[in-house]
Amino acid sequence: MHLITCPWCGPRDEAEFAYRGDATVARPAADAGIDAFYDYVYTRANPRGWHTEWWHHAAGCHQFVKVVRHTLTHAIAATGKPTDTLPVPAE
Amino acid sequence: MTRMHRRPAMRARTGGHIDRDTTLTFRFDGRELTGHPGDTLASALLAHGVRIVGRSFKYHRPRGIYTAGPEEPNALAGIGTGARRTPNTKMTAAELYQGMVAESQNRWPSLRFDALAVNSALARFLPAGFYYKTFMWPASFWEKVYEPAIRRAAGLGRAATEPDPDHYEAAHAHCDVLVVGAGAAGLAAARAAGESGARVILAEQDFLLGGGLLADPVHEGWRREMTAALEALGNVVRMPRTTVFGYYEQNMLGAIERVADHLPEPPPHTARQRYWTIRAREVVLATGADERLIAFPGNDRPGVMLAGAARAYANRFGVLAGRRAVLFTNNDAAYATVEALAAAGADRVTVVDTRPLGPAAAAARTRGVEVLPGHEVVGAHGGRGLYSVEARARGGDGGFQIDADLLCVSGGYNPAIHLASQSRTPLAWDSGIAAFVPGTAAGQRSAGAARGRFGIAAAARDGMEAGGAAAAAAGFARRPAFELPAGGADPDLTVAPFWEVTARGKSFVDLQHDVTTADIRLAHREGYEHIEHAKRYTTHGMATDQGKTGGLVGAAVLAEARGLPVEAVGMPTFRPYVTPITWGAVAGHHIRREFAPIRRTQLHDWHVRRGAEFLEAGLWLRPAFYPRPGEAPWDAILREGAAVRRSVGICDVSTLGKIDLQGADAAFFLDRLYMNTFSTLAVGRARYGLMLREDGMVFDDGTTTRLADDHFFITTTTANAGRVMEHMEFHAQTVWPELDVQFTSVTDQWAAMSVAGPNARRTLAKVVAGLDLDNAAFPFMGVADATLAGCPVRVFRISFSGELAFEVATPAGYAAIVWEAILEAGREFAIEPYGVEALGLLRIEKGHVAGAELNGQTTAADVGLERMAKKKGDFVGKALAGRPGLTDPARPRLVGVRAVAPDQQIRPGAHLLEAGSDRSLGWLASVTKSVEPGGWIGLALLSGGAARHGQRLQASFPLHGESVEVEICSPHFVDPENARVRA
Amino acid sequence: MSAPESRPAPEPRSPLAGHLKPGRHGAAGSRPLVLREVPATIVELAARRGRAAELAAAVRGALALDLPPPGRGAAAAGATALWIQPDTWLVVAPRGTEGALAAHLKGVAGAAGSVVDQSHGKTLLHLAGADARAALGKGCRIDLDPAAFGPGRAAVTQMAQVGCVLYQHDDVPSFSLIVPSSYAIPFFDWLCHSAAEFGYEVP
Repeated sequence: MHLITCPWCGPRDEAEFAYRGDATVARPAADAGIDAFYDYVYTRANPRGWHTEWWHHAAGCHQFVKVVRHTLTHAIAATGKPTDTLPVPAE
Repeated sequence: MTRMHRRPAMRARTGGHIDRDTTLTFRFDGRELTGHPGDTLASALLAHGVRIVGRSFKYHRPRGIYTAGPEEPNALAGIGTGARRTPNTKMTAAELYQGMVAESQNRWPSLRFDALAVNSALARFLPAGFYYKTFMWPASFWEKVYEPAIRRAAGLGRAATEPDPDHYEAAHAHCDVLVVGAGAAGLAAARAAGESGARVILAEQDFLLGGGLLADPVHEGWRREMTAALEALGNVVRMPRTTVFGYYEQNMLGAIERVADHLPEPPPHTARQRYWTIRAREVVLATGADERLIAFPGNDRPGVMLAGAARAYANRFGVLAGRRAVLFTNNDAAYATVEALAAAGADRVTVVDTRPLGPAAAAARTRGVEVLPGHEVVGAHGGRGLYSVEARARGGDGGFQIDADLLCVSGGYNPAIHLASQSRTPLAWDSGIAAFVPGTAAGQRSAGAARGRFGIAAAARDGMEAGGAAAAAAGFARRPAFELPAGGADPDLTVAPFWEVTARGKSFVDLQHDVTTADIRLAHREGYEHIEHAKRYTTHGMATDQGKTGGLVGAAVLAEARGLPVEAVGMPTFRPYVTPITWGAVAGHHIRREFAPIRRTQLHDWHVRRGAEFLEAGLWLRPAFYPRPGEAPWDAILREGAAVRRSVGICDVSTLGKIDLQGADAAFFLDRLYMNTFSTLAVGRARYGLMLREDGMVFDDGTTTRLADDHFFITTTTANAGRVMEHMEFHAQTVWPELDVQFTSVTDQWAAMSVAGPNARRTLAKVVAGLDLDNAAFPFMGVADATLAGCPVRVFRISFSGELAFEVATPAGYAAIVWEAILEAGREFAIEPYGVEALGLLRIEKGHVAGAELNGQTTAADVGLERMAKKKGDFVGKALAGRPGLTDPARPRLVGVRAVAPDQQIRPGAHLLEAGSDRSLGWLASVTKSVEPGGWIGLALLSGGAARHGQRLQASFPLHGESVEVEICSPHFVDPENARVRA
Repeated sequence: MSAPESRPAPEPRSPLAGHLKPGRHGAAGSRPLVLREVPATIVELAARRGRAAELAAAVRGALALDLPPPGRGAAAAGATALWIQPDTWLVVAPRGTEGALAAHLKGVAGAAGSVVDQSHGKTLLHLAGADARAALGKGCRIDLDPAAFGPGRAAVTQMAQVGCVLYQHDDVPSFSLIVPSSYAIPFFDWLCHSAAEFGYEVP
């Protein structure tokens, strides 16, 4: 079970969070077209390694937390607010 | 406990950690026996000379007690009676209590005579992979014939079938340093960390602290001093009877505390077991080491036991496991068993040492012990017990018999790396001890025997250093100061690996799963070379003991077959649970009615009193219908529906999701979230809204009210309330964080009740104060505040049933007052409460879509709501709703369906076919018996949609062998002009 | 929309009505926990975007209450404010006239804040006693040890599958627990079960 540091509440158990997927995709502009929205909704890199993703602190402060997590080791390198840019380790 | 009992034959008069002044009686397979506090079931049985305690898994070979701890492969029992019986309990770890009732397992009809022992004679027909090869086909036989037969023959214990009367609970703990294991290393680590000021938890699976120290009288003084010192430290929590079973991410470990397993039943208000999740900043794994077996023919016979176990029985429990013992060893450490057995009164001990004569052997000889250096054991003979051991010069021919009733075996020690392996800490091969040892990882270190620092003094020193280092890493730098154990040089623990004696006969590497060296070689010959493949093919190491005694031996046999060193073959990855835990502990408090929290509306008690049948809607309980005495369900549902169509009904709709939205950008935000427009909505008015997912499918629907320019009240479906909140939070926080919006769930703040039917206004007008309900003053889709029975209410003129209707919302604490007042006012109109079933009936008649139609796979156009889409501006789902696949005119569209013969039942899920065709054109989503037009009707999604109105199709449900003729029609069975709701 | 004139509303019914059994329960012990429901007014107060400082000043001026930072609560004479999410607080006060505190706060906040009355939607429980941490620890996954938590600390978390706002008042320790009213019964039942080992009293 992960221990995820919510930028507001501090370290909290994974049980309080809901996974909400890839945080590296951004909603396209309204007129960007179907293909851009298709990529936004469906196209994912599925990396083996570090991944920046959304975890919703559903049983806490209801905030979306950005988490840099290693998909193989489950190590967490950084967490932050939605507007934060988080450094992603090289390896 | 008061009766006098003769001292059992094998119990020494003094010594050990048992209380001889108290006698406990217990039953094993119906025999009444005695033991003492401090005994395990295994030690008490050995004291009585009990040899056979179980039959093996596959061959039903008689088996005896093999170890003195939780690594035990053989000695499993069902302990307890009736609903409290726990199967597969390790006798070697089960603390004896007065009145314990234990039964051996996997034998029929009895331990001494087992009908399936014939399997052993058939063994050459039961090789590894036998089941896979033999029972492959016909496929249908597997479930019905083979598997049940195999399960009967090769089972473990049976679970109790009655509900468990005991309570289990979860518990959560946090600490700076968690020390797992309270042997010499663990005690020293806990004290070092504790004296530094850190918050320490010391978890020990045994009921006494000490680990290997408990079998070592020399260091008993130090053990006592350490346990007393730990007790005096207020920041150290000692948790005996607590098995740490799993190591998870970010230093979370799982543990089971057996709170009351050592008692006949738990004391009142006390859980039987606690499932701990422990978050530790730093972890010290002081889990010790498991002695490993040597594979030789007959190494599973009752009377064969690991050397360290025989020593533990002698020194800790004062129990002599045999009078004429042979010790078979490849290491010096095992010589301590010779002393222990001699001290406990053994007649004779003969040592068979695989090595040339060394210092330990020479020292033993000077004490008069017979030592056979350079020898090996090639057989263990006997019937139900052990009569003689066959030995020979290593690799030689022939052999000679040694008269013996106990054969102690030691192939060296494996650090107990299970938890380290689970945490993915890298393992390294230590050739000095011929075993894998764990490295360190972030927040984790192993100490003592768990990393190959064998011997009390070395382990204690290592533990002290690890405990101090862990505390320092957690920010507690104070240096501990206490004495390490004095006296007694540690034995030399380096070993020359010795895995197997090559000789004819079955040599076991996994006693619990009956896996032999021949099985491992067969797996290799058949191509299962990788350790993970060989493990699965042979089931080696897959039993509940996880191969703690023979796992590495099996790997070594595989390595030999592959011509590789064992470290190149490696060990399979260990996974939780290190030892089995009970389902009760996993479930904890959350069973039966407490499985998930039940949400109740404030009117729940009223519904109960009224005799409602309830339906689960998510976590909510909602009244389905309110049957009168003797009334059939459909009669009740139709009666409730008819009351709404003909007069007036009232329904508790408090479970609908409700969200309060405020902020300067609230209207703009709604325009982005919904496919229709809310910024044009007037204050005091409500509007139906449809929300899409970004993929273009319909997500949810509901009514939203504008309370002020910057203040809205949103309703969602009951099922999607949480998801809609999260959807709004996602967009407000991550997509449009610049918007000024604040919103929160007010689902529980407001109770809501729908008052529907031609007499709804007349009913409410009698009790609503401060609001003119007249059509002109309060038109359809109007919203206003009022009072009702002195309570504040908000009245919404909205309708789901298609009748004139009002929704009355009130702060939830007033729900019962408001509900009763409306019922009283409606009495003259014969008002009926109606449940979710009648609600469904009414909306199907009206052609309103709900969850069955808005199933995540339908578009707005599919359900006939495409005209709601705004022409200008962005909204979630707009782009992808325009995909060709979603705008294909051939997509199934919403239609109404009625059975041509009205009494003919139709079913949701039925496919719609043209007569004589087997091509599905669509399916029925919702059905009901109806008030109007009468008979069975439904809503369907049908290719061709409205173009098929008037056509006759077959509603086919092959699972029920049904095909019903139906007519396709408009989905609006009731009042298609929408006149009633505006009346 | 304006609220219509009315006489004072009747006493609201608690979601635990008929469920709280006054008296001594669970194990006999010398230091039972005390568990009770506290009738309360609970108002959710959120700052409009970029106006948190303005809102805090207004609340400080009117109620002498400092809106606390994340993870904390703040108590004043008449009310306690608990941080629940960014720029959002629960203001908890003894039960008063229906809607009065919400209306007052709306007046205080003006255009700087959004106000939502949650008095009926949330149920306030109070648990006090030496073993309160151990009882809560059977469901609470956050560290309540004095080294990590203490008087004045607040947390939004989950216990026994129920979302819960937790606030520690003092070193007894005593805690306020605020749960959604529709979950009050299963939460209360779990809390009773967890407290039974230590014995507890419902006044």
